[in-house]
Amino acid sequence: MYLIQYLVLAVFIALGIRFYVLQVARHEDYQARAENNRIRDIPIPAPRGAILDRYENVLVDNSSAFNVVVIPEDISNKDETINALVGNVNVDRGELLAALNDPLRPKSQPILIKQNASAADRQWIAAHELEHPEISIEEQPQRIYKYGKLASHLLGYIGQVNPKQLELPAFKDAGYKSGDIIGQGGIEAVYDRVLRGKDGMRRVIVDSRGIPKAELERIDPIKGQDLIITLDLDIQKIAEQQFYSKNETGACVALNPQNGEILAMVSVPSFDPNVFARNVVSTENRKEVAAIVNDPSHPMYNKAIQGTYPTGSTWKIMMATAALEEGVITLKNSRIVCGGGIQVGNRFVHCGKNHGQPDIHLAIVHSCDGYFYRLGLKMGVDMIHDWVMRFGMGQRTGVDLPGELKGTIPSREWKKRVNPRDPVWKDFDTVLASIGQGSVAVPPIQLLRAESGIVMGGQFHIPHLFKEAKATQMKEVEYYDDRATELKLTQLTIDTIDYGMWGVVNEGGTAGGVGFPREINAGGKTGTAQVIAKEKARGKEHKDHSWFISFAPMHTDQKPEIGVVCITENGGWGASASAPKVKMIEAAYFSKKLGRPILPELVALNSPPSPAVTGSANGPHPVAVADRKRKPVTQ
Amino acid sequence: MVDINQRKLKDVDWLLLAAPIALTAFGCVAISSSAPDGSFVKKQIISLGIGLAIAIAIMFTDYRKIVFNIAPFFYAAVLVLLVVVLVAGTQINGNKAWLRVAGFSLQPSEFAKAATILMLARHLAHVRQTSLSIKDIIIMGAIVLAPVILVYAEHDTGTTLTFGAILATFYFLGGMRKIFLAAGAVAVVVGLVAAYPHLKHYQQERINVIIHPEEADPKGYGYQTIQSVIAVGSGGVLGKGIGHGTQGKLGFLPFAWTDFIGAVIAEETGLAGVLLMMVLYLLLIWRLIAVAKASRERAGSLLVMGFVGLIAFHILCNLGMVVAMMPIMGIPLPLMSYGGTAVMAMFIGVGLALSVRMRRFVN
Repeated sequence: MYLIQYLVLAVFIALGIRFYVLQVARHEDYQARAENNRIRDIPIPAPRGAILDRYENVLVDNSSAFNVVVIPEDISNKDETINALVGNVNVDRGELLAALNDPLRPKSQPILIKQNASAADRQWIAAHELEHPEISIEEQPQRIYKYGKLASHLLGYIGQVNPKQLELPAFKDAGYKSGDIIGQGGIEAVYDRVLRGKDGMRRVIVDSRGIPKAELERIDPIKGQDLIITLDLDIQKIAEQQFYSKNETGACVALNPQNGEILAMVSVPSFDPNVFARNVVSTENRKEVAAIVNDPSHPMYNKAIQGTYPTGSTWKIMMATAALEEGVITLKNSRIVCGGGIQVGNRFVHCGKNHGQPDIHLAIVHSCDGYFYRLGLKMGVDMIHDWVMRFGMGQRTGVDLPGELKGTIPSREWKKRVNPRDPVWKDFDTVLASIGQGSVAVPPIQLLRAESGIVMGGQFHIPHLFKEAKATQMKEVEYYDDRATELKLTQLTIDTIDYGMWGVVNEGGTAGGVGFPREINAGGKTGTAQVIAKEKARGKEHKDHSWFISFAPMHTDQKPEIGVVCITENGGWGASASAPKVKMIEAAYFSKKLGRPILPELVALNSPPSPAVTGSANGPHPVAVADRKRKPVTQ
Repeated sequence: MVDINQRKLKDVDWLLLAAPIALTAFGCVAISSSAPDGSFVKKQIISLGIGLAIAIAIMFTDYRKIVFNIAPFFYAAVLVLLVVVLVAGTQINGNKAWLRVAGFSLQPSEFAKAATILMLARHLAHVRQTSLSIKDIIIMGAIVLAPVILVYAEHDTGTTLTFGAILATFYFLGGMRKIFLAAGAVAVVVGLVAAYPHLKHYQQERINVIIHPEEADPKGYGYQTIQSVIAVGSGGVLGKGIGHGTQGKLGFLPFAWTDFIGAVIAEETGLAGVLLMMVLYLLLIWRLIAVAKASRERAGSLLVMGFVGLIAFHILCNLGMVVAMMPIMGIPLPLMSYGGTAVMAMFIGVGLALSVRMRRFVN
């Protein structure tokens, strides 16, 4: 009995002492801790790197925007907060509720409610800071696409990461969390890791009323690296203008075949990325976004890498190269009958006209279908397929943009797999394939890379946009690592192709009437892709797509420094719609190079060619002069 | 059975009655300050009223009838309720320990404590030897084991431990040989140490916070203990004033109106208030022990001492938890923590003590 008494007393005394210790001896310490009971980390968003063209003209940059944010921890009365926001700051109630109730948001981080708060919004929030400590203004860099629709496909845009993306392992590893704004599409997405810097942080003490009392620590954000891409703003503008001024749609890519740097990439119709980068949480903006996304002409589709079309006669360059390399034709013996077409089984497949019995050079220059029908039958589909694959057709070029398609190059296996009702490859299929019709369907960039490699003598570079990522405190400068694929081609073949393409433009070939300035020594190939029946749904006429692929200079002692491919949808014949566009682009390129004013008109360039190579009065860098005497030597 | 005798009214130990009322009232003050809304205080006051009524009714009853005749039925009924709770009970905060009856929540495990004390006292009252036989030890163990199994199934670790304390008290009171007691104590300690690695993570963290407060993660499971200590320490000598406690009121301290009511008292009334509370408890215990000493036979004193052990254990564990001397175990502060059933169970004990005292003279 007594034992229990003493035990109880002892326990009470022990407790009493402990209470004393806490409440008297260590009182101040705990009082301080009670006050300082909440430490909050407020992120300071890092400015995103800018995107510049090759001459460091700014294409995409940041400017300051003010966002309305709400800190959920500090909300004392949810309804009051919601009403206050809806009534005074013009926020949509439905979206606000969705944002506040999003289970994926970390509870202590501010929730973005409205971007681009107006001055009136900011004033109201500042005036009601004490009543509503949970509502505040956060400054955030905002993405500005200076030229709107220009190059939008390759630049991409930014937006909030969506829940489906967060589920992908690549995204999880990168450390993205709900609410992050990341690059979507284009360069913004592919080089997001380069462009996004490192967010800073403010560690503040918040008292029990939610008002920051003091800043404990501040880590400044580190800006993302500025990205220089290979694009040439002037060339891009001219290229885009070619389509818009004539109200035509299609795609176009211009690059340097010597290293794969893309100078311009156009896809029409286009969209304005500012719509996405702007106001993310308003109904008005939702409508704008929906208008773009639901537009039946698919403006967000990058036709240069995602639009697949039959190549038409541009294919013949690859046919000729393969045939020469395999010895199916030789320079001495390259004549084949045109016949105005060819009879295959029950059908007669036409040529444009009757070219008689052209040699390989004339067949290219005049784009003789009959020649290539017969050549194709001689080669056989397997050889054609094999060589075309070596040139990179039917495979992705590896351009640094998302969504590139592989395209379709038919073959025996392909037909068997895809067409079970008629699986056997027939001569008719070969005939069509020989001139790039039938089931051939590739994106323009693939064609450009393949033929760039051929004219470069077998050196295939990867088309790319990345040029340089500038250094920051955190990262070092990065340059593009150029790796080319080599394919062995005989010099004779290369020269023949080179001369043939030059002839298309300069010897009265299929592009002879387009008016390319002789100075440039452009060479190229026209093509007409037959429109498939599904175009009927669009209500357009069944006009064919017009192709033109070109390199300059050709048939000189210098390697070509620009290659352009252009497809104009429903443009008709190759020469009529696409070749003039390419002419303007190449002319602009050389004008710029020569330091002349870049004019859409070619007045300055249509001056008579200067006789000498050096010492020209026209500028520092004369364009190489065509050497007419240099014809491939027959063996 | 119930016989109200005018003479006997003078014999009521008013201090014994006043102390628990004062404690409950003090508790209500703290609850009103820290509970989410006013309904909590109201319910507590109602429970106080019911408890008082029960206590007075028991006071006028002969406790021996309760211990020897009624206790087994009470015990059985409680066991049944415990089973019902397991099947159809309501879960609050991870423990399925409540029954919802007519808008009130009843916690049968609290009644189980009282019932077990009654049964143990009943058994021990017949034991004539000065030390316990093995048979007695086993029977007493069994009496405790039945409710313990059911309570453990509710995931209520604290209450389970309480039963252990009750059993230990009665072993001690029954005159268990010292050597066994010592061995038992050692076994318990060893058992705890051995059990540590098998404890769930949150349980381990609660223990870690006591031993290594610096290492504890302030946002993890040690949160409550740390917050409690901050609340207590920031109260100072005179406290922040009733209704002005920041930690309890603003929600920094979870369960401020139940398990951590002691911290609210400490924060709002300071060391002064804490000492007052301790004095009240000591008063209660002192009066109870006086009754036990004066009881005319074993049953009475065993009964009352059983309740003394119960109260003391609760206070030790709860206040110890509040000042981070003991890990969090989910044990409430008697009469002060919000919990109607617990209050009523306490007043059952008070009533029994009053009854014992009234009948202390051998007639």
